[in-house]
Amino acid sequence: MFDADRFIEAAVEQLRQRIGGNAIIGVSGGVDSTVAAVLVGKAVGKNLRCVLVDTGYMRKNEVENNQAFLDSLGLNVLVVDAKGRFYEQLRGVVDPEKKRAIIGELFIRIFEEVARKEGASFFVQGTIAPDWIESGGGLRDRIKSHHNVGGLPEKIDFEIVEPLRDLYKDEVRLVGERLGLPQEIYGRQPFPGPGLAVRILSEADPESVRIVREACAIVEEEIERAVVRGEMRRPWQYFAVLLPCKTVGVHGDVRIYGSVISVRAVESLDGMSAAYSKIPHSALEAISVRITNTLKDEVSRVVFDITNKPPGTIEYE
Amino acid sequence: MSDSSRVYVVDNGGQWTHRIWRVLREIGCETKIIPNTTLVKEIDAEGLVLSGGAPRIAWESPKLGNCTDYLNDFHGPILGICVGLQLMALHCGGKAGPSGVPEFGLARLRVLEEDDLFKGLPKEFLVWESHNDEVKEAPGFLVLAVSDNCGVQAVKHLRKPFYGVQFHPEVNNTEHGEKILRNFVDVIRKRQY
Repeated sequence: MFDADRFIEAAVEQLRQRIGGNAIIGVSGGVDSTVAAVLVGKAVGKNLRCVLVDTGYMRKNEVENNQAFLDSLGLNVLVVDAKGRFYEQLRGVVDPEKKRAIIGELFIRIFEEVARKEGASFFVQGTIAPDWIESGGGLRDRIKSHHNVGGLPEKIDFEIVEPLRDLYKDEVRLVGERLGLPQEIYGRQPFPGPGLAVRILSEADPESVRIVREACAIVEEEIERAVVRGEMRRPWQYFAVLLPCKTVGVHGDVRIYGSVISVRAVESLDGMSAAYSKIPHSALEAISVRITNTLKDEVSRVVFDITNKPPGTIEYE
Repeated sequence: MSDSSRVYVVDNGGQWTHRIWRVLREIGCETKIIPNTTLVKEIDAEGLVLSGGAPRIAWESPKLGNCTDYLNDFHGPILGICVGLQLMALHCGGKAGPSGVPEFGLARLRVLEEDDLFKGLPKEFLVWESHNDEVKEAPGFLVLAVSDNCGVQAVKHLRKPFYGVQFHPEVNNTEHGEKILRNFVDVIRKRQY
């Protein structure tokens, strides 16, 4: 069995030896980067600066909540508002791999700028095993370029450190638990690095972000309510995706023509294989009614995704 | 009984190569992932697992590196998974090629022969699949399990310590997957006596 305590001890020792000088870490507030930040913080203390990039593709209230939480852990956090830069560079981009490449590169450029200002020569990432496995290389086919692996440009100004590289999500959670993080952090559902941009299956413009952000919040809230009511177990991951098509509907005897939201929820251990969640119809209906009512001008239909992985991946792009 | 057999994972570029490594580690094996170009004489393991991978068996088998050398010259038990099984069957005089009905994700496995791999397991259970190709003929092998759309889901060689599965025991969604790998490791442990 995986021994989290032994892992922490060995990792802190290695990090202490490897990182001589200032380091920065890209944090999203997710499980992986938060665990990596706490681990590196243990090793090098105040020499670590956490950089939280607001890409414009974060979930509802996420930037504020994450900043407050990371601050409360005693970490040294810098928030970079890069919404405008991300929206600008992704204008007109529809191809999923191109999206991921642009996002990955922009992330790195921003981290380079911060590193230069901070005089940091080490850059820490919360990369975990599925990130580099799915990004491909050599014999392995590229399934999708994770922003922290496949999206990296060839020329980079600093040394990259990835303390969680061989771990899977469930192991990272054990490490988080042993590091004393609260359950709502180490138990958090995964969220992709490129954020909501890969849950918009066309151009990821601000208007589409607004729609999918609201839909994601509704899916999360309604599922969590159903869990509290005892109707279901919390899935491994659950979210909404804005599909690139429109369908006809009717509102008060008037024809509408709006977008389609797909609801995705899966059961998994490590994200490498998954089964779709058997969500009760009461919860699905609550999601559908709320999305089509609150987003009535934008969304005319809600569908539920019943695909396992394989053949489908968990996220759509 | 020695509790840490050395069982290495031969990487054929699969999405789940690392999963095999992980489950073997959890079972208590001494394990590592080795490239499929590793020379037989450099392998100090007691057993091997040939991972799956993207190469298509009919026209991309050169991408499977030295896997056929392992089948010829490696001294211990070998478990072939997915394309690893297909190569095993082909190498022993069988046939493999595109599946009539490829399987992805969920499938129901029906065990015909318990043998070593399915020791202590139910006759039917759910497994995870991901294959475009399959074994068509496997002379010299006993077929241990089938699914609705695939007639060769698990085999054992009649004389050599070769085992193969078309489905993926290493992924978490496969029922009893860890137990199947444990059964394979037990075969290795018994031979070490």
